[in-house]
Amino acid sequence: MIGTGNRSRPPAVGYGGETANGNSAIPAGTEELRVRVQQLSLREQIERNHFLLMRLNAANARLIQSLDHGDVFEAIAEIIANLMGCEEIAVFDYHPEERTFSLAWSSGVEAAELQPFLTGAGMFGRAVQQGLSQFQERQAEGVLLPHEKNLTACVILKSSGEIVGVIAIFGLLPQKSNLEWADFELLKFLEIYGAVAIKFQRLQGKQVAP
Amino acid sequence: MSNKKILLVDDSCTARLVNRMIFSQKSNYVLISAVDGKEAVERAKREKPDLILMDIVMPRMTGLEACRVLKKDKDTQKIPVILLTTRGEEQYVQEGYASGCSDYLTKPVNDGELLDLLKAYLGE
Repeated sequence: MIGTGNRSRPPAVGYGGETANGNSAIPAGTEELRVRVQQLSLREQIERNHFLLMRLNAANARLIQSLDHGDVFEAIAEIIANLMGCEEIAVFDYHPEERTFSLAWSSGVEAAELQPFLTGAGMFGRAVQQGLSQFQERQAEGVLLPHEKNLTACVILKSSGEIVGVIAIFGLLPQKSNLEWADFELLKFLEIYGAVAIKFQRLQGKQVAP
Repeated sequence: MSNKKILLVDDSCTARLVNRMIFSQKSNYVLISAVDGKEAVERAKREKPDLILMDIVMPRMTGLEACRVLKKDKDTQKIPVILLTTRGEEQYVQEGYASGCSDYLTKPVNDGELLDLLKAYLGE
């Protein structure tokens, strides 16, 4: 095994010591150090953004592909599973006229466990009423219903102000303790473009219906 | 970086897409893909990749089964296999190494970490 993880690299210029290639010592001033720290921080930011863009690009490509295959709900769950790190996901269709939900896709969660969500109560209901995604870590203490204990997030799928569905994200993978910055960005992307893809699929269904 | 050939095996289209993006933007590796363990074994025998990056949970043949088959075959046993999976618990990691894999990465994968690991295995 070679091992994984970010390997720390020694600085090219030491703290007043020799340069990496063994040339004569250059005293490292405070200003030089400050610039170096700033450069490293900017590089890190650029790399983080680049990684996020790649993930969004992959998510976008998968959604587009799903329009041909008619598997938008599965695609949304697959994007979350692979790019965010969660294998317990349910995607609900929302029917605004009747204000009801129906289960469109789930993986890693028993259908029986999802039944209480169809009542539209709790965090799930708040997401629809407010038209805003809800995250467990941002909920006030004691407001979670018993069936919501393992619920990490309810993500609203909304296009042009119209709610078309909700993604329920349950337990994250064991190696992932909480949602990170890039996860929130990915979910923001899905809020809009996941909804657009669902609307497209619905229209496509209407076109092919007899 | 050289044009070494990597066989990416994953039944998830999203995983294949994101890995393809990582490789195309940050390396010169030639990427070929398979959607399950059975296809991976066939492609590995036929195309002799320099490294195999493989998911575990897949239909038809899992990554662990495919890894065992590859390690028993004299034509493919020297190809490093990195298992890529959502399961990070110790028992799964041990099971992975018992199948003969060279390394084990958990999803979601960090692109820098993945490329560093590949470079290390490909001697770059």
